[in-house]
Amino acid sequence: MLEETIFIIIGLISMISVLFVALAIVSKDLLKAIMFSAVQSTLYAFLLFLLMAPDIVLVYIAISVGLLPLISIVLIKKVGRYEKA
Amino acid sequence: MDIRISMYIATVVSLYVNIALCIYGVISKPNLIKKFIALTILQDSINVFLVLGGYRLWRPGLLLQPPVLLNWSPTSEDLKQFLMKSVDPLPQALVLTAIVIGLAVNTFLAIVIIHLYRHFSTIDVDEIGSMKKVMIVEESA
Amino acid sequence: MKKHREMIFDILLIVIILLVLIPTLLGGIGPLPPREIRPLAKAYLNSTLNIYNKDLWTASPEAVAAIVWDYRGLDTFYETIVFYTAIVSCLILYREILGKRDISKGEGLSIVVKRVTAISLLGILVVGASTVLHGMLTPGGGFQGGAIMAVAPVIAIVVFSRLLVDTSRLSYSKVVTFRNLAILGIALTALIPIILNFGNAFIFQNQYKRSINFSYPAHILDVPMGGSLWFLNLFEGLAVLMAFYLAFNIILYSEEVSKEVILGEEYGY
Repeated sequence: MLEETIFIIIGLISMISVLFVALAIVSKDLLKAIMFSAVQSTLYAFLLFLLMAPDIVLVYIAISVGLLPLISIVLIKKVGRYEKA
Repeated sequence: MDIRISMYIATVVSLYVNIALCIYGVISKPNLIKKFIALTILQDSINVFLVLGGYRLWRPGLLLQPPVLLNWSPTSEDLKQFLMKSVDPLPQALVLTAIVIGLAVNTFLAIVIIHLYRHFSTIDVDEIGSMKKVMIVEESA
Repeated sequence: MKKHREMIFDILLIVIILLVLIPTLLGGIGPLPPREIRPLAKAYLNSTLNIYNKDLWTASPEAVAAIVWDYRGLDTFYETIVFYTAIVSCLILYREILGKRDISKGEGLSIVVKRVTAISLLGILVVGASTVLHGMLTPGGGFQGGAIMAVAPVIAIVVFSRLLVDTSRLSYSKVVTFRNLAILGIALTALIPIILNFGNAFIFQNQYKRSINFSYPAHILDVPMGGSLWFLNLFEGLAVLMAFYLAFNIILYSEEVSKEVILGEEYGY
């Protein structure tokens, strides 16, 4: 019973993350793309926790939800926020 | 079919769809920062796929365990139980190396994008290509 | 022209998905999900804390840290060198403005944010240091703690403005020196068995092997220490923290100072 519940949650989370990846690639406002990619990284971190890999969860959360959106937002500030239509 | 096997296959298929969408994003969008975001999502999806290959079906009656021993002086029985309950530690060790190398490349790429902007004052790959053609034609004239 | 390009990319997307999906569903990577783990993984898990057969043991109950720093130690060493080279190449691009004072006189954010950040910065550094130091007993280790500690300098620059970095005594050359010393520490930990045994040992050796009489200590009081794993984690965490401090220092310079680097590019010198 517990085993089937965990497998069902693994399947549902990976199917929801496809939606966020599609939204991140299609949107024209780059700040929204960064926010969608940060939400998708949180879903991946939960997926890695369910797959019993605790070392990787620590590295992944510190980098993908902390460092990469930060340097991407600094990049957008210096370069330009909207993609050309 | 068993619901565990079908959910596992659904996870594998959705990771493949993620990888294909990110390859499309890297190739076809002309903005450099959109390419950078798609590249980071691509690297993360491949790493998750590798860790997914180390999972296993549960043995009936035994809970699955990450590859960490909890008993600091284990007997032979403890080691046999550990081998039957634990997930594969090899993909996790290799993915740790891959994450750090990907991070180093991403940091260098961010600095190169800013450097390109200061030279050409635009960030669109098509415009940079046409500017370079003008520069090459002028220099060889 | 653009419509043709879009159509070709859409077809390419579908072809990529189909090309990889059909062999996987027909059994290309074995039965999904796997029923047994690999024989190599069974050998590693069996010998990492085996008190009865001490031929290949590593004195650490954490299998992933043992594989990363002991059984596959050379791979991790080369990956550290790749990281080092990437940050050095970032510094080379902007070598004329490193260590210069910035022109803009910032004030930082409001006083409430400053006081709260001052407390939580200390918390971030302590959590990162604790993750580095217990990496051989529970999940943690060098990269994990280093990546957690690397968030602190970025937040400090954003909240307190660049005046904090310019007027502190932690200048750029000192940080580069610390980083080089940490990488030297990793290399020394790998080479000390050979130096102390006059050439009769292995590189990255951890515990006693057959007929070789050198070993790092296996226990601290009564807790398994993992031998050389503790020292390697410590040096790796320090190296990663210093590397991120340098990289973010370059990204966050103001535009007027950074434009001096590309001055004169149109003349070719």
